[in-house]
Amino acid sequence: MKTRRDFVKTSLALGASLSIVGNINSLFAAEPTAPTATPSVPTGPKSVLAAIRDGDRVAMLDKALAELGGIQTFVKPGQTVVIKPNIGWNSSPERGANTHPSIIGHLVALCLTAGAKSVSVFDNTCDQWRETYVNSGIEKAAKDAGAIMVNGKDQTLYREVQIPNGVKLKSALIHSLVLDSDVFINAPVLKHHHSTEMTACMKNLMGIVWDRGYWHKTDLSQCIADILTVRKPALNIIDAYHPMVRNGPRGKSVEDCVEMRTLLASTDIVTVDAAAAKLLGHNPADITHVRIAHEMKLGRMDLENADVRRHKLA
Amino acid sequence: MPRNLLRSARVALAGLTFAGLTIALVDFRGFAPAPLGHVLAETQFIPGLVSLLVGGGFGAVLFLIGLVIALAIGRIYCSALCPLGILQDIISRLGGWLRRKKKFLPYAKPFGKLRHAFLWGTVAVALAGWSGFALALLDPYSNYGRLVSMLARPLLTAANNSFVGLANASGWQGLYRVNPAWTGLGVVILPALFLTVVAIMSALRGRLYCNTICPVGTALGLVSRFAAFRIAIDKTACTKCGDCLRSCKAQCIDLRTGTVDASRCVACYNCIGACDEQGIAYRFSWKKSPAPASPAPTVPAAPLTSQSPDRRAFLASIAGTVVASSAVLTRARAETTSSANDVPTLVKSGEASRAICPPGSHSVDQFLDRCTACHLCISACPTHVLQHALLNYGLEGLLKPRLDYTSAYCLFECTRCSEVCPDGAISILDLATKSVTQIGVADFYQTRCVVELNGTDCAACSEHCPTKAITTKPFRDHLRLPVLDQALCVGCGACEYACPVKPVKAILVTGRSTHGKATKLIEKKATAPNPVGDFPF
Repeated sequence: MKTRRDFVKTSLALGASLSIVGNINSLFAAEPTAPTATPSVPTGPKSVLAAIRDGDRVAMLDKALAELGGIQTFVKPGQTVVIKPNIGWNSSPERGANTHPSIIGHLVALCLTAGAKSVSVFDNTCDQWRETYVNSGIEKAAKDAGAIMVNGKDQTLYREVQIPNGVKLKSALIHSLVLDSDVFINAPVLKHHHSTEMTACMKNLMGIVWDRGYWHKTDLSQCIADILTVRKPALNIIDAYHPMVRNGPRGKSVEDCVEMRTLLASTDIVTVDAAAAKLLGHNPADITHVRIAHEMKLGRMDLENADVRRHKLA
Repeated sequence: MPRNLLRSARVALAGLTFAGLTIALVDFRGFAPAPLGHVLAETQFIPGLVSLLVGGGFGAVLFLIGLVIALAIGRIYCSALCPLGILQDIISRLGGWLRRKKKFLPYAKPFGKLRHAFLWGTVAVALAGWSGFALALLDPYSNYGRLVSMLARPLLTAANNSFVGLANASGWQGLYRVNPAWTGLGVVILPALFLTVVAIMSALRGRLYCNTICPVGTALGLVSRFAAFRIAIDKTACTKCGDCLRSCKAQCIDLRTGTVDASRCVACYNCIGACDEQGIAYRFSWKKSPAPASPAPTVPAAPLTSQSPDRRAFLASIAGTVVASSAVLTRARAETTSSANDVPTLVKSGEASRAICPPGSHSVDQFLDRCTACHLCISACPTHVLQHALLNYGLEGLLKPRLDYTSAYCLFECTRCSEVCPDGAISILDLATKSVTQIGVADFYQTRCVVELNGTDCAACSEHCPTKAITTKPFRDHLRLPVLDQALCVGCGACEYACPVKPVKAILVTGRSTHGKATKLIEKKATAPNPVGDFPF
């Protein structure tokens, strides 16, 4: 249980960090594995990918985090954390359109155990946000675990950010939680997508901006890569337990999902998406936004050069 | 005053009805459960009448019970159930407080011709085939609904929004910002004018509106004149002190003749407690002759042609406002259509509607006949895709709900509007039926599509499509172009809402004049893209 005093402290701290941290790039320094705004060439240290199979979602998440050094590698005591699941659609967990609530609930609990000062969860949903937060099961799971569910449909919570390194996306209104939180965790569900073939970690970040329509109109795949030049998540987790393999990203029924019982995690958002592409039967280079991000040196899609840690729990 | 239990009961019932309906209508966060507004609205006269006329339901039963009660004890509807009547009581009470002295309303003669002109004018317009328009225009319940939905709800939402920042900063997450969805200024003028008229009339003359303009009041008055129990003065006890007169909001007690005009008495029971001599009370009035006990006000049915100048002016003002405020909109729409030079499928086949009406309303014609524009559904709609129409349906559809896809779409898994509608204008729909109810059909214009024009990915329409009427097919180099199967389309507008093309979208939904049935695509279980059991990398 969080007390009102905790909330007050949180908000004061948030306000303070907002006033001190003028340049969000300085935040990257606090993140052990996140590359800097000017990305390193793919000849750097190998990206670590945790690929876990055949357990329940919570067990697979624990195993994946253990491979990456444990939650305490990412969350230090006193830090503020924002978790961005995919909460796009007004449908129940078994439909596979949103991240499974058990993953979000467990992740929130882990962050708080690691000493996080606060954990916030939000998405700029596609369907009506109240219905979607509730029916996805995520609001309850997150709140029960001690997180704050934040409105993603309130334009006053977004701030305009210039994106000098973006090719097509030169500025965007980004949710202040993403700009101000100490730790940014990306936790989408793996799905088919009718335009980009696949939606996983990179495409999930469309939910941190106010105006997605601009991306659709301008150059969807390029904008998806461009937003990574603002701030990359410290940790990327993909729920591929029961992925939607057709009719995505919304899906029509549970028949659109197949049981894969897999979970992927990495600090490299491009590597983890490349592995996700393979899960859906694609060559990573055929997913335009993955290829563009690799070419922009925002991460590495060459799985053959990654440090892949495979585990089967059963 | 223990001996005035009747009045206490009336006040309690009025308080509950008024609070319940107001909460349901002002609700901008979906707090109110659907049955609250639905059941309370079913107790209302005009929705009940519509239910009866269209073939029954709970509302029809309540309507008949209401008529029997009116015939037994008079117009308790006007005092205990009608939200507009209760609002007038509140206004005149507030007016009294402001004056610090209760205004003395002496007995006044009824405006017999005028009130019957309003009633029979409404009936005549309804019989002439404009029932929906006539009922919506002067139904007191629907007028109250529009006052709350169009004036109070946006104000309350704005007030909420101004507190959100403070509440969240102090750690209280219970508040969040809500898009006020302001009504266009030109249209707010309609309920605002109505409120002004009602407020002035009630502040100065109590229930003058109910006994002059309101057709429901007049219709119930025709029944209550002959009620079995009527409020009457016991001439042996009466000292003609005038206490009852001072407490009467309907100005219907004539002390000189010692009679009460039962057609105008709204059964508020204030007079019963006011009389120290217990000289005014319910009395069984069917004993002697069936002729009215009171010298009934002569109420010759006014010829239908003699519409009052007031009413004409009122109608003219409304028509004027609407024409002025929507002229711009209509013109913009016309230009849009002509410049696009694409004729929607439903227009070609002659099945297009003027505007898109909610799932469950079956057809635009039926909807406009039944809907009284009470705005309960507009308040309840979680996405606010339901907005009031201007002249989108034509004049008879003024202020009735329509689906507006510019800033929202109809949520596939939602049947909320059908759950709250009191009179079958939107009949109750189960989800399975709703998911194949085709309220409109989309048309895709490839020449305007981002994928064709810019050669970049998009498919926002397909992303949002709940039935997968819109999917994509391979197009040029690593692109996917939207493909539309109109048979699967339900017309929810998600595609149109999501399409980023401006100013004219590349996918547009046209409403059906009569709703159809979409095909439901049943697919087999999907197959895994890779052999299951191992990592594909």
